[in-house]
Amino acid sequence: MNNSLPRLIDGMIATLRREIIPHVEGDFARGQAFGVIYMLNSLRLRASWSNAFLSEQLRALEDVSRELEIALVDLPGAPAPGVRAPVELPSAADLEALRDQGDQQLCDLIDFLSERRSSLAPEALAPIDAAIARYVQAQLKWEISASAKPMFTEMSRGSEKGE
Amino acid sequence: MTISTAKTTRETAGSAAARTRLFEDVGALGERLAAYLSQQTGSEVRVAKLTKFPAGFSWITYGVEAEGYAPASRLILRIGPPYGLFAPYSAMPEFHSLHALQASAVPVPRAFLASDDSSIFGAPFFLCERVDGDTPLPWGGEGAVPLEGARRQSLAHDFIDALAALHRFDWRGTSLNEDAGGITLDNAADKQIDYWSLRFQRWALRPHPMAHRAFAWLRQNKPRAERVSIVHGDYRLGNFLERDDRITAILDWELVHLGDPIEDLGWAFLPQYRGGTKFVCGLEDEAAFLARYEQRACLTVDRRALNFYVVFSLLKLALTHMAAARCFESGEFNDMRMPAMATQIAPVFRQIEKALERAN
Repeated sequence: MNNSLPRLIDGMIATLRREIIPHVEGDFARGQAFGVIYMLNSLRLRASWSNAFLSEQLRALEDVSRELEIALVDLPGAPAPGVRAPVELPSAADLEALRDQGDQQLCDLIDFLSERRSSLAPEALAPIDAAIARYVQAQLKWEISASAKPMFTEMSRGSEKGE
Repeated sequence: MTISTAKTTRETAGSAAARTRLFEDVGALGERLAAYLSQQTGSEVRVAKLTKFPAGFSWITYGVEAEGYAPASRLILRIGPPYGLFAPYSAMPEFHSLHALQASAVPVPRAFLASDDSSIFGAPFFLCERVDGDTPLPWGGEGAVPLEGARRQSLAHDFIDALAALHRFDWRGTSLNEDAGGITLDNAADKQIDYWSLRFQRWALRPHPMAHRAFAWLRQNKPRAERVSIVHGDYRLGNFLERDDRITAILDWELVHLGDPIEDLGWAFLPQYRGGTKFVCGLEDEAAFLARYEQRACLTVDRRALNFYVVFSLLKLALTHMAAARCFESGEFNDMRMPAMATQIAPVFRQIEKALERAN
């Protein structure tokens, strides 16, 4: 992959829209193609090359750097690469699992409070409710900001405005 | 009216794999449908045309042109695939409800055949007449046809009157009474909360603190129903047909059940179905809607109950989006509308959050 991820996605969308969809027969099939565009737009807002993909290349660069440092000892002035890969980064899957674990703990707390709400003092509940509400709002804000503009009309009709 | 008993077609249904694909293969399905209708009627029926419709997120819908089928030549075949949004499906609640409502003031398509026997078409199915008309879409985006002036007013009256007629309908004198499941004025809300809570557990792909908050609020604020009615379950802009400014049929009864009639109001009042306008379902402002509904339904709408059912409906909508995510994630269903719907979980949760803030 020698292009940036956003540019690749833009190119895929433009190709679908200009070169492919006009030649697709049937509203349903065209609607599906608009669904692909919508999801590509959403991916564009939150995707990047994975840590694992880049880390592997950095480790290889570190290996060759160390090897060359030795091999270039007798060539003073040679521009020796000095790459050092960062310590192992957690994978996206690991981070996702951590997030889910935290969310589950909050869910359990919400259920716990719900079952006991009538017997708990309002002044004790208020700061707990407020803290949970703030977290939920922050989570939703991020989710929404990383979503593309919906294309449900195009997906249902199989066409864009003016067609 | 005939409820299918799946006679000779069962023997020709083929392997499990073939059954799974049958309802997606237009050619094979057309042949099977012709054979099935011929068998049911005892005379030769030919399927001249079978067209898959892009509308709908759950059941697969085909338009059918049949020759030799006496009840109607233009039909709708709906099939509930095993991998669909709300699978596993039963066609019978929709079929029984439409049959019961045939003689009511609610405009519904005539229902002809239905069965949950997957040996016939590979999945539960439902066959009814194809009613003339177009479907205004609720998304409001570019390309949507605005509802204005006399057209809007006429459709608004039909929309409200049909809902009121549905909620006035005496279901106890029909076969629906046999499936009432012990519903009462006191437990109508609880039954729906329990129903959707089970589905949340089945559908969620990850923990959702906001859903837990919403369920907790609903359990603390549930109203007592004033009446137990047939509830459409998805009564909104996009689920009716119109022709010459009149509603010709109310469609998509797959979520029909007995419950608190205010539940249908809560769903219809959702911002998602306002078509980019301030009007309920793009048709009528809230006060006028409620005034006409109350008068026609002979029911006073408790505003707190309505607010409860708006929150409930938002949660139901978010859960439906989770169902779409689950459906797509399973890998059996590649309809791109599913992941697209799943992107709407967070925006709907935010609406719930704001509704709870207002209520508290």
